[in-house]
Amino acid sequence: MAELTVIGKPVTRVDANEKVTGQIIYGYDLALPNMLYGKTLFSPKAHAKIKKIDTTKAKALPGVVAVVTGADAPWTHGEAVKDKPFLAQGKVRYIGEPVAAVAAEDEDIAQAAVKLIKVEYEDLPVYIDPEEACKPGCMEIHEDYDSYRKANFMVRGAAPNIAEHFKLRTGDVAKGFAESDLVLDEKYFVPIIQHAAMEPHSAHAQWDKNSGRLTIWVANDAPFRALHEISEALGMEKEKIRFINPAQGGGFGSKGGLKCEPIAVALAFHTNGRPVRVKFNREETFISTLTRHAATVYSKTGVKKDGTLVAREMTIYWDAGAYAEKSPTVCIRGSLPAPGPYRIPHVKVDGYAVYTNKPVAGSYRGYGIPQGAWAGEQQMDELARKLGIDPIDIRMKNIFVEGDMSYWGEQLHAVGLKETLIKATEAIEYGKRSSINKPGVKIGKGFACIQKPTRSPTTSNAGVTVNAQGEVTVFAGTVEIGQGCNTILSQVAAEELRVPMNKVRIHQLDTDVIPYDASTTSSRSTYHMGNAVRGASIHAREQIMEAAAPMLEVGTRDLSVADGKVFAKDQPQQALPIGEVVKRKLGINGIVRGDASYTYEIGKDLDLETGHSDHASAFYMYATQAAEVAVDEESGRIRVLRMSAAHDVGKAINPLNCAAQIEGGVVMGIGSAIHEELVIDNTGKVRNPSFLDYHLVTSLDCPEMIPIIVECAEPEGPYGAKGLGEPGLAPTPAAIGNAVADATGVRIYDLPLKPENVFWALQKNKKSAA
Amino acid sequence: MNKQIEFTLNGKSVSREVPTHRLLLDLLRDEIGMTGTKEGCGTGDCGACTVLLDGKPVNSCLVLSGELDGADIVTIEGLRIGPELHPVQQAFVQDGGAQCGYCTPGMLMMSKALLDENPNPTDEEIRYALSGNLCRCTGYAKIVEAVKDAATIIRNG
Repeated sequence: MAELTVIGKPVTRVDANEKVTGQIIYGYDLALPNMLYGKTLFSPKAHAKIKKIDTTKAKALPGVVAVVTGADAPWTHGEAVKDKPFLAQGKVRYIGEPVAAVAAEDEDIAQAAVKLIKVEYEDLPVYIDPEEACKPGCMEIHEDYDSYRKANFMVRGAAPNIAEHFKLRTGDVAKGFAESDLVLDEKYFVPIIQHAAMEPHSAHAQWDKNSGRLTIWVANDAPFRALHEISEALGMEKEKIRFINPAQGGGFGSKGGLKCEPIAVALAFHTNGRPVRVKFNREETFISTLTRHAATVYSKTGVKKDGTLVAREMTIYWDAGAYAEKSPTVCIRGSLPAPGPYRIPHVKVDGYAVYTNKPVAGSYRGYGIPQGAWAGEQQMDELARKLGIDPIDIRMKNIFVEGDMSYWGEQLHAVGLKETLIKATEAIEYGKRSSINKPGVKIGKGFACIQKPTRSPTTSNAGVTVNAQGEVTVFAGTVEIGQGCNTILSQVAAEELRVPMNKVRIHQLDTDVIPYDASTTSSRSTYHMGNAVRGASIHAREQIMEAAAPMLEVGTRDLSVADGKVFAKDQPQQALPIGEVVKRKLGINGIVRGDASYTYEIGKDLDLETGHSDHASAFYMYATQAAEVAVDEESGRIRVLRMSAAHDVGKAINPLNCAAQIEGGVVMGIGSAIHEELVIDNTGKVRNPSFLDYHLVTSLDCPEMIPIIVECAEPEGPYGAKGLGEPGLAPTPAAIGNAVADATGVRIYDLPLKPENVFWALQKNKKSAA
Repeated sequence: MNKQIEFTLNGKSVSREVPTHRLLLDLLRDEIGMTGTKEGCGTGDCGACTVLLDGKPVNSCLVLSGELDGADIVTIEGLRIGPELHPVQQAFVQDGGAQCGYCTPGMLMMSKALLDENPNPTDEEIRYALSGNLCRCTGYAKIVEAVKDAATIIRNG
């Protein structure tokens, strides 16, 4: 087709108007006719047997319609391992685990009834540290693990409580270390953090006994996967289950699996057809839903004098919490690229996802990349410093470029990494000393590079209709979680059908009408769903042109489309609006529908012994971020002054939206670097389950941000696009860590860089220097 | 305990009997059915539920219904004047100030309160005014830009 009309343009969001007027209805806003109110009883014990549950008093309370426990819901679910009960069965494994639930006429009654449920527990040993939990002799938190239903790619660890063991084996690391001029062996730590999407979790469910249909209204960013999980758990046909998505107030990975859904479903079977709403408040969201994995990363790297990388060995303990959730795939997709975007001949990685008695860890924007980068990218700087090489030069020597063979056995293409490195470091004048000179304040600069794969192989389907009024509707299963997909997908349809943006509407997500999509995760939507919507739009356009050809008395090949009209190329003045074509062909209520499916075909499956695959990901996202920081030596307080973020997006479908994603990612990354830590004591209790005590970045904590878009086109992507959602926060902590080390001369190995942690690290360094 | 109260909501007078302990946030969302005001924490820490009470911004999750007799309340549903978007709404649309949009109503009400008092705020003043309103999506840059642009739209009347 001719040049692009709306792709690549900074158009404003299609959902902005309904958001700024407060008209849009989120899951948390939804009220259904004749609805009951659900409340949940959470476990106060981190690991205990349930001896007895007495619900008599709760059931007797006037206004209570249903009280359910694990006995009423004998089902389990989970993405890779079906280990999580709808409600605790026989034992509890973390403080905050749902044990029982009530449905009542109003929320006050439901809350009062929950308090009347009596549970007797018998304490079991509590495991908080994953490295302790997998020592020989430890009790299995999941004693029936081996009998659970699970995915075929799972590898059980040899020690207790290991849910998944990922192995990468390339070359011979022992030989590599022997050949190295310098070997560094260090331990890094990343704590638990939480997504803290501004909309807390909720779900509504209704079961109609007569039709046997179960309907679930929930802001879930993978409704088709959730539907499959519910169907698999209940043994209910998929046709009987329907998911409807109200608007979603953020997610960042927290709203993909099942959280409030199983509780709402368990209650809905006992309410005589009335819908039930289960809401978690903020504290319940903090303790019961999902966290990001804490990770302990042992990183050993061998390097030649000139900076050439020879060998890298990493051992990573991913703290899975009480249930596996997405830990197995975080362990695989986070451990595989952890050695960094470099040519390294000898690589060995062991990733262990370990059960502990803590809230469940799962997918979080970045999917394991930030943890690996925190270790690997700081160690790159340490190697450079010890060798007396510039941190840019050591990376330039080893960095992936077009056509390189990766250490996991895949040849890489469309690698825009080098350009991101150059642009990000230039933007903060890396290497140039700061002009700021304040006593007691040290200024430093640092940067970090990352690569990120996407979940593969996966499928997206889409339908696109054009009616006789020329209005376009897109049927796509991508969930608008704030990332801007409705705008991006509207741009794709508008581009291919050559209609104005205001003629395109995205249909609400309802699994009864929308064709299957894998998930809104892993930065996969622009690429996969973009391809599907593009294909469906072209399919619709072709049908319209075929219909228009006889009307304009020319062959379809001689037709063109522009400004919402079809015309013969040599007679553009006799143009027919596309709606008019549909009307003449099919009548005033006529509709043309185009359909398309996109699946990224994977090559060989990941080899379970070596971790090798000839095509592990549909595409790779590359990024470099660079930070300038000020460290107050007296208080240990760090202030990020400037942050540049250069991201290889393949092709920016919407540069305004790309900048928005990058800025949001960077600030989230700063939060994880400096402010955030979910504090869990040795009894397994979350000590800071509120925004008062769990510190999100505020408007006062943000640096000057310099988002930079790099476009190294991905041939298979729509218009060359890759993805962008997740990498925005992935290199941020490591870049800041490197800047702090540059400023102070002190390397800090543990996140977060809270004032007290920084202060004590500086003190310790002073002592050892003295 | 219930109490009969009269107050003004978005310019219209309302008279109803309410439990005195009912939070203004819940009164708006659950009893009146206006869900534009959002619940993010329920403990006064996130600002998502910001409304104007007698012209001043408050966290509606910290206000009891029993206190509302005679009050003048403006929520996000009352920000728009007629069919036109309020300048802060226009600027949030233009500049990309909303992503998931869940913090947006509170951000807009706080921004309006700021601009009512200070029609020409600096970046620092905007950041300070919005520091009690948490946003997890945008990184705040486009929000600050939008408030500045809104100030310009208002000044140019």
